[in-house]
Amino acid sequence: MALPLRYSFRNVLIRWRSTFATVLGIALVVFVFVLLQSLAAGIEKSSGNTGDPRNILIVRKGSTAESASLISRGNLREIQYFEEIARNERGEPVISADVLVLVNLPRSDGSGEANVLLRGISARGVELRPQVRLVEGRWFTPGKREIVVSSRLAKRFANFGTGQSFKTGTATLTVVGWLDGGGSAFDSECWMDADECRSIFERDLYSSFLVRPASEAAGVKLLERIEADRRFKLKAEKEVEYYRRQTMTAAPIKWLGGFLAIMMSVGAVFAAMNTMYASIGARTREIGTLRVLGFRRRSVVLALLIEGALLALIGGVAGCAVAYLWNGYTTATMGFETFSEIVFEFTVTPRLMAEGLVFAVLVGLLGSFLPSVRASRLPVIAALKSV
Amino acid sequence: MTTVGFIARNALRNKRRFILSVSSVAVSLFLLVTLQVALRELTNPINDEGSTLRIIVRNKVSLAQPLPARQLPTIERIPGVAAVTPFSYYGGLYKGDEKFTSFAQFAVDPVRSFDLLSDAKVAPEQLKAWAADRTSAIVGRKTAERYGLKIGDRMQFTGQIYPCDLEFKVAGVYEGTADDRNVFFHQKYLDESLGDPGTVGTWWVKASSVEEATLITDRINKAFANTSAEVRAETERAFQLGFVSMWANIKILIGGISMVVVFALLLVTVSTMSMAIRERFRELAVLKAIGFRRRDLFAFILAESFGLATLGALLGAGGAWLLYGSIDMQQLSNGMFLMFEVTPQMLALAFSIAAVLGLLSAAAPMLGVARTSVVQGLKTLD
Repeated sequence: MALPLRYSFRNVLIRWRSTFATVLGIALVVFVFVLLQSLAAGIEKSSGNTGDPRNILIVRKGSTAESASLISRGNLREIQYFEEIARNERGEPVISADVLVLVNLPRSDGSGEANVLLRGISARGVELRPQVRLVEGRWFTPGKREIVVSSRLAKRFANFGTGQSFKTGTATLTVVGWLDGGGSAFDSECWMDADECRSIFERDLYSSFLVRPASEAAGVKLLERIEADRRFKLKAEKEVEYYRRQTMTAAPIKWLGGFLAIMMSVGAVFAAMNTMYASIGARTREIGTLRVLGFRRRSVVLALLIEGALLALIGGVAGCAVAYLWNGYTTATMGFETFSEIVFEFTVTPRLMAEGLVFAVLVGLLGSFLPSVRASRLPVIAALKSV
Repeated sequence: MTTVGFIARNALRNKRRFILSVSSVAVSLFLLVTLQVALRELTNPINDEGSTLRIIVRNKVSLAQPLPARQLPTIERIPGVAAVTPFSYYGGLYKGDEKFTSFAQFAVDPVRSFDLLSDAKVAPEQLKAWAADRTSAIVGRKTAERYGLKIGDRMQFTGQIYPCDLEFKVAGVYEGTADDRNVFFHQKYLDESLGDPGTVGTWWVKASSVEEATLITDRINKAFANTSAEVRAETERAFQLGFVSMWANIKILIGGISMVVVFALLLVTVSTMSMAIRERFRELAVLKAIGFRRRDLFAFILAESFGLATLGALLGAGGAWLLYGSIDMQQLSNGMFLMFEVTPQMLALAFSIAAVLGLLSAAAPMLGVARTSVVQGLKTLD
């Protein structure tokens, strides 16, 4: 016969004083695990959220990142007349030849400098990226040294307010507006006119082309055509797929989260074992009584295991809850692909919380297994006699 | 029975608990030391001896922006400059690597570069052979070992930053720097493959003396002020710290989280350790009754918890020291961590935390002992 669940449950509640530290320990293990994984999830979400499924991104064959790619103007002249590319109402091909430049700028809090990704876009650049909205000011005027910065970067870098200006290279750029990338990788970029950008930074070449094919079928054809044409040495792929692969920055954070979680859970298992041993030691007589009443060994083991798991679960829920407070909080680090500051949000997904809870329960089960087996093996008479 | 023997017997009376407590202290402190080592690695870049003399000149716009090759004679003429070499990061993908090559390749001036990289040891005849053959390269010992490269072997790279693929012949192997993984080849070879764009990545400058290094950086910065390519010259140390600044919030966040957690795990340990003494209230009352004074009891309690915490620190921090001293973290982490060294300061930190832990976990029971009278203590059941 199994012990009622209430036995395990009430045990956890009644002994809260002695188990509090253990619960706290497990809560913090889960908290750290969920928080670090939520950073990685935030980076992945931001890049996974980027791009329009209709668009095709063209970069140089061999370059793994758009920012390290170089494409000649000759290529632009040819590709823009491909019949696979959509045309807008004025008959212009929907293609944006972009140039990406890394610019080292001072932070607004004076804590040093960091690289910002500056994207020079052509006239069709904005309409190709409908997820990017203007939230303040206006778009830049082509041919002028004006720039629209991400509103999230604006909080982090000096002189990024609308109307302010900053110097880079030989040029002074005036901030005329703020853009919002809607939680995409564009939240970590500043946009300006491509030709101005090329002249300021002495770039003869473009970095990438973003095109909108006329139809789904035309898109497939375009991918094949660029791949097959030996003259180009270019690689075309769907924009969303390109961004989905940009997860190099998340990898070490995931690794660190896993490493910390494993190391800390070893400590937490020890602590849980200690607590459970003590808690069982204190009720030797009670367990003896249970056995005399006819509860079998495995019922006792099961009840104690459930007690340990419950204990850990409370810790796990607390840890998840605290981690969830950070959900949506914006932070930044250096992206490995772009080598520039990337802004993203802590993203505590339900999956991460579930993982954290499973993790906590595992710690609880591991920590209470040996103590509960020991309790069930106590000779009944001796247990009853113990004080 | 001696006092020491008494304390030891007391500590070991519940062997299981003793082992569990010591191990949780050990694990916490091991983790603490590991995080300290990792954080130091992120925030405090390594230096070798020659780095105090080295100055790095990059484009003021950013490191990714090239510099015009025509700047060379101007820099050479600046007083205090002992040697200059172009230093261009090629960033190629080594043939056979899938996505990521764990060593860097730099295009340099073969005659002057090893004068700047004074820590690197290369056989003079290898250096000569390298300078003589424009398509050859000097390879770091670690990279040579990892890929089984011998002199005369060929290395093929796909350019990821520069639109050119390159092939080098291994002319020699260097060692002796903090990071023996890089590959050095001729800037001329890169220029030719690109059709002579007249640009370099950065300039590396050797100052004639350490005292003059900062003066020289100012002179270089001024020399190119108000030109089409303004530069940022800084000492190698300042250059590396610039990278640290780019990690932004992550390093604070990771550091913060880690410290909090280690602290919490230690708290758990404190609670279990003081549990061990709380259980013994009656005994302590007996000791009091037979004439031991309060301070004797305090000494017993303190000695036990101190001993436990110190043993934990010895195992945890000492274990970390032994472990990281004996494994090759550079290889394990694929070049992400270079030194992974436990410093004496970190050991001191771990032991001070253990000392505080010993004090803290003794405090509650000591307070209890001080407060309870003999009669009360004898009545305690637990």
